[in-house]
Amino acid sequence: MLGGLALLCVLPVVLSSSWLLVMFLSFLWLILTANYDVLDGFLGHINLGQGAFFGLGAYVATIVVNVPDVQALGPLAYVVISLAALGIAAAFAAAMAVPLFRLKGLYFAIATLILIFLLQVMALNLTELTGGSYGLYVPPRFFMSTLCGYYLALAVAVLAVGFNWYLSRSTLGLALRCIKGDEDAAGSIGLDPRKYKVIAFVLASVPSAAAGVLFTLNSGFIDPNIALGVERSLLPPLMALLGGTGTVFGPVFGVAIIRAIETIFFHYLRLPVPSMLFFGITLLVVALLIPEGLMKSPWVKRLPVLRTLASS
Amino acid sequence: MARALELVIGGLSLGGVYALLAFAMSLTISTTRVLNVAHGVFFVWGGATFVFLSQRLHLHPALALVMLTAIFFVFALLFQWGIVRPLLGRSVHLLLVGSIMATFGLALSMESALGYGWVAFVDPYPVFSSALAMFPVRFGTVSLSGSRLVILAFVLVAVTGFHLFLQKTFLGKGARAMAQNFDGFLVIGLNPYRLSLILFTLAIVATAISGAFYVLAVPLNPYDGLPLTLKSFTVVILAGVGNLPATLVAGAVLGLAEVMTSQFLGTVWAPAVSLAILFLVLVLKPTGLFGKGVY
Repeated sequence: MLGGLALLCVLPVVLSSSWLLVMFLSFLWLILTANYDVLDGFLGHINLGQGAFFGLGAYVATIVVNVPDVQALGPLAYVVISLAALGIAAAFAAAMAVPLFRLKGLYFAIATLILIFLLQVMALNLTELTGGSYGLYVPPRFFMSTLCGYYLALAVAVLAVGFNWYLSRSTLGLALRCIKGDEDAAGSIGLDPRKYKVIAFVLASVPSAAAGVLFTLNSGFIDPNIALGVERSLLPPLMALLGGTGTVFGPVFGVAIIRAIETIFFHYLRLPVPSMLFFGITLLVVALLIPEGLMKSPWVKRLPVLRTLASS
Repeated sequence: MARALELVIGGLSLGGVYALLAFAMSLTISTTRVLNVAHGVFFVWGGATFVFLSQRLHLHPALALVMLTAIFFVFALLFQWGIVRPLLGRSVHLLLVGSIMATFGLALSMESALGYGWVAFVDPYPVFSSALAMFPVRFGTVSLSGSRLVILAFVLVAVTGFHLFLQKTFLGKGARAMAQNFDGFLVIGLNPYRLSLILFTLAIVATAISGAFYVLAVPLNPYDGLPLTLKSFTVVILAGVGNLPATLVAGAVLGLAEVMTSQFLGTVWAPAVSLAILFLVLVLKPTGLFGKGVY
C-alpha cells in the first residue's frame, strides 16, 4: 500500500503531460468516490448529491478569485480561496444535513439528487454572480500547473481514503456502522444518530469541495455543465458500487477500473459511442450482477492480494 | 381574461400529464418498491417514437399510436424480465440501491442512445415535436390551443381507465392488495412476479402513450427524461404514494405553478419550481400533503 503511494509520488517523472492530467482527474474522482462511500458504506445512505459540493467548491473559488481585493493578496490569495470554498461547502453541508437526515432510503437519495439540480438552476440563472451558461474564468496568473495539481489532488485523495480507513477502525466509524445497522438500537445505547449523521455529512463534503477548487484552478474555466453536471453525482456511486462500498479500498479499485476503461476507450481509441451510454450500461450491469461490489464478490475474494486488502 | 384562461388550460394540461406520469410511477413503487428512474426517459422515448413514426415514416397518427403501443409492450416485458425481476428477491437496502442504480444506468444509456442516434440517423436538430393537432378552438371570443384540449381529454380518459382498473378488475384488486399488505398478498397465493410484470407493462405503455400526446403541444428534447422523472416524483411525494385523487390535484398544482412561474418570473426559473416544491415537501412533510393513502 505504501509502495503504491511511493510509486504515485515518483510517477510524474515518467508521465507525459496528457497522462498527468488523466491521473489528476482520476484523483479528483477518487476524492468524490471516497467521500460518497462515507455515507453509503458506513452510514447506509445513498447520497446522489456528492457532485453538488464539488460544484459549489469550484464556483465559490472562481467567484472569490475574481474579486480584485483577493487578487491583490498574491500567493496568499490561494489560502483565501480555499478557506472560502471549503468553509461555504461545509456550512452548506451542515445546513442541508438537518433537513436531509429527516429522510431515509429512497427519499434521501432523491432529495440529495435535487441538490445538484437546484445548484445547476441557480448557477444558470444568477448570471451576475456566476456568468450563467457562459461560465466563469480564472485569471491566468492564478492558474495551477497540472504537476502541482497532481500532488495536491493526491494529497487530498490520500486524506479522503485515509478518513475512510480511520472510520473502518475508530469509534466514530463504529458509531456510524451501528447507526447503519439499526438506528433505534443505536439511539437506545446512547448514540445520537442525528449528531453522527451531520458530522459524517460535513466531513465528507469538505474534500469534495477541495477537489472542485483544484479542478477550477487547473482548468481555468467552469460552467454549469462542467462543474455541476449530473455525472459528478452519478459516477461516484457507480465507482464505489463497482469496487464495493464500506471497504476502504473498494472505491480506489472502482475509480481505477472505470477511469482506465474510460481513458483507453474514449481518449485513446476514440470509440464513436457517447461515454454516457457506456457508463449507463456499466452501471446497469454492476447493479444487476455484482450488487455488493468487486471487493465483496466471492470470485474476487479468492485472489490472495485482494483478500489481504479487503480484510484490512 | 382570454390570456388567463389560456394559462389555466396550459397549466392543467401540463399538470394532467405530470399526474399521469406520477400515477404510473406510484403504482409501481407502491407495489414492487422499485423506483424506476428511467420513467421520464420512457416518456421521452414515447414522444420520439411517435414523431418518428408519424412524421418520418408518414404513418397515420392512429396507426402510429398502435405501433407505439406494440413497441413499448415489448420494451416493458424486456425491462421487467431483465431489470425488475432480478432485483425483486433482494433485501430492502440492496433492492433500493440496485433499483436506483440499475434504472439510472438504463436512463443514462437510453438518453444518450436517443440523443446521438437521432442526430446521427434522423435529424441533426434533436427536438421532438408533432404539428398534427395545432389547430385553435374558438369559444366565442376566446381561442384555445386544440392540442392542449386533446391532451386534457386524453388525461381524463387515461385516469378514468386507471381508476376503473384498480377498483373494478381482479388484477387491480391484486395490485391494491400487493401495495397494502405484501405478506397477506403472498399468503393467499398470488404471484408477485406476474403481477409486477403486468403493472410495469401497464405503467410503461401508458407513459409512452402520454409522451406521444405531450409532443402535440410541447416539444421534447432527448435529455428531458431525468428532469421529468423528478417532476413525476414530485407529484408522487406531494400526493402521497398510491393516492390517485390526490395525484391528480398535485399534478394540477405543479402544472399551474410552472406555468405561472414562466409567465411572471421568466421561463428560466420554471425548472426550479418542481425542485423547490419537492425539496420542501420531502423535508417538511415526507408523507405527502394529503396523508398516506394506498388507493
